[in-house]
Amino acid sequence: MSHPPTVQSPRTGKSALRRFVDAAEPWFYSAPVLVLILAVMLVPLILGLSYAFRDIQLLNPFSGGFVGLKHLQALSQDQAFYRALRNTLWWTGASVFLQFLFGLILALLLDKPFAGRGIAQALVFLPWAVPTFLAGLNWAWLFNPVIGPLPHWMAALGILSAPDNILADPHLAMWGPIIANVWWGIPFFAITLLAALQAIPRDLYEAAEIDGAGPLQRFVSITLPFLAPTIAITILLRTVWIANFADLIIVMTNGGPADRTQIVASYIFTQAFRRLDFGYASAIALVLLVLLLAYSMVIVIIRQRLIEKD
Amino acid sequence: MASIALSRVGKSFGTVSVLNEVDLAIEDGEFIVLVGPSGCGKSTLLRMIAGLEEITTGTLTIDGERVNERRPKDRDIAMVFQSYALYPHMSVADNMSYSLRLRRRSKEIIAQAVSAASAKLGLDPYLERRPKALSGGQRQRVAMGRAIVRKPKAFLFDEPLSNLDARLREQMRAEIKRMHGELGATSVYVTHDQIEAMTLASRIVAMNAGAVQQIGAPLDLYDRPANLFVAGFIGSPGMNFLEGRCEQGADTSAVVLPKGFRLPLPLRIPAADGEKVTLGIRPEHVTVDAQQGEIEAAVELVEPTGLGVILHLLVHGEPFKLFSTDRALIRSGARLRIGLPRERLHLFDQAGNRMAAL
Ligand SMILES: Nc1ncnc2c1ncn2[C@@H]1O[C@H](COP(=O)(O)OP(=O)(O)O)[C@@H](O)[C@H]1O
Ligand SMILES: [Mg+2]
Repeated sequence: MSHPPTVQSPRTGKSALRRFVDAAEPWFYSAPVLVLILAVMLVPLILGLSYAFRDIQLLNPFSGGFVGLKHLQALSQDQAFYRALRNTLWWTGASVFLQFLFGLILALLLDKPFAGRGIAQALVFLPWAVPTFLAGLNWAWLFNPVIGPLPHWMAALGILSAPDNILADPHLAMWGPIIANVWWGIPFFAITLLAALQAIPRDLYEAAEIDGAGPLQRFVSITLPFLAPTIAITILLRTVWIANFADLIIVMTNGGPADRTQIVASYIFTQAFRRLDFGYASAIALVLLVLLLAYSMVIVIIRQRLIEKD
Repeated sequence: MASIALSRVGKSFGTVSVLNEVDLAIEDGEFIVLVGPSGCGKSTLLRMIAGLEEITTGTLTIDGERVNERRPKDRDIAMVFQSYALYPHMSVADNMSYSLRLRRRSKEIIAQAVSAASAKLGLDPYLERRPKALSGGQRQRVAMGRAIVRKPKAFLFDEPLSNLDARLREQMRAEIKRMHGELGATSVYVTHDQIEAMTLASRIVAMNAGAVQQIGAPLDLYDRPANLFVAGFIGSPGMNFLEGRCEQGADTSAVVLPKGFRLPLPLRIPAADGEKVTLGIRPEHVTVDAQQGEIEAAVELVEPTGLGVILHLLVHGEPFKLFSTDRALIRSGARLRIGLPRERLHLFDQAGNRMAAL
């Protein structure tokens, strides 16, 4: 494949304009998409972040000025924010762990053949199909001793001393949204883990069985290594998502009682839409964004390390 | 080392019966090859011996003990899978030592067993690699190594070579044979490839449609196939069959082929006059003889194999194969006269079973 001798070297004899046009050509073709992406993704993000450095209060017509780091300074002194941060850890950790645990158990059960498995697999999806605020309302009613059975059952089982509403109990309130969240989030883990389970070659289990491995050893040396990448990515996604997920809390407890169920996301919601202080709310959102980005980076790096080690 | 015995063993999946009444006694140190077309139930039978499939009817004994209900890990057998089934997250060494580690053998014993096996299989340079960084042939060796480190009572192989290319398959075949010679372990080997069966087996079990057709030494099956199925399955290129009717004479019989061609036999065969019989002859036993050849044949196609030549002929309009090492035969479109040496003929009755030998 040699060039015909008559063709000149492409660089010589080209004007500067010509070269610029050549270089810019691909950018012109992709410009519509790039502009769209910038407009849809970056502009709102930057606008939102800029609020963090401005005084924006919806009810104050004189607000809107640039205030620098004032919001962040206020935030560093804000005990309610620190409590929300701790609650977020608690809410996210417990929800993700329980969703994952029950999702995994459910996936393992659904992986075994039994009569009616197809229907069971379809039913597992059901909570996922319920709008979150409806799920929140439902669970709030279930926990309400006046109309819901749960407090009475729990009292009968001895878990509660009296059939009270746990959503009104400062020490137990967080469990209400967590339980609702676990119920609602199990299908996600169950379905993704089931898909990963079904991709494991059956003969590996047979080989291990012949090699003398019991059910637990087969789970540890075959199932877990196969599931690990799926587990890592689903937990990462769910953690970020649940840390931002205030719907159930807003509907069920609205952050109460006494801010005991206030997570950062619901705190932002409260600041923005109840106090109407958009500037301060944006500053909190900025901090949450940075924290979640840092968390994601750490997980991505760990995952990369693990893949390289393989 | 162990003997394995199957007695009237059957298997059904739900209402579908895939194996019926298999009787087989495998002696200590034998190399048994189960051979048959795809779907005839070879793997199912092997998996029942391994304990991976339940035995629907009959009994399976290992060393005289009934093991029908025993779990795979308590049967002390090793199995090599067609897909190799190597643990992808373990190194080669860990793959091989997994069963010993589960049995909590000491580190020294494990290291010794693994290094002995890897030396035997030429796996020393790959012990730290993961299976996915190995070629097909190396993976195959690891699967074998995993089986031999355990020193099990018996080895089971399910088409272990069918994912390899032809050259490697030949090489591994010889290696398996050599290893069986060294270890002398009882082995049951499943294949659909009759060459593998012929070369490896001390005894072949030919199967078709869930039933055992014949059990015997490789050359027994080749020389004296019990029925049409075995006759057609063993040997490559496959045996030629000519259908005809028996014509009984005073002391001898003859077979009359459809076009009226009469083939006298040197003795009397146990068939009624006019009964349908099938003549079989292997392509390598057909002779070409311009003068004395009794049947005229047209050459349709010539396949040179290097060693010799396979001629696809038309005999009375029926396809017929001939194998010869005579290269002079390599010319298409010719007409030949072929001979059917009587001592090479196989005769099968109406039901397809072998008749008394010629
Ligand atoms: N789990 C199963 N359920 C139903 N039928 C099966 C199952 N496993 C195998 N079979 C059937 O049993 C027959 C024998 O299968 P197999 O032993 O795998 O054949 P081979 O190994 O000789 O090719 C086939 O017809 C196959 O469809
Ligand atoms: Mg098979």
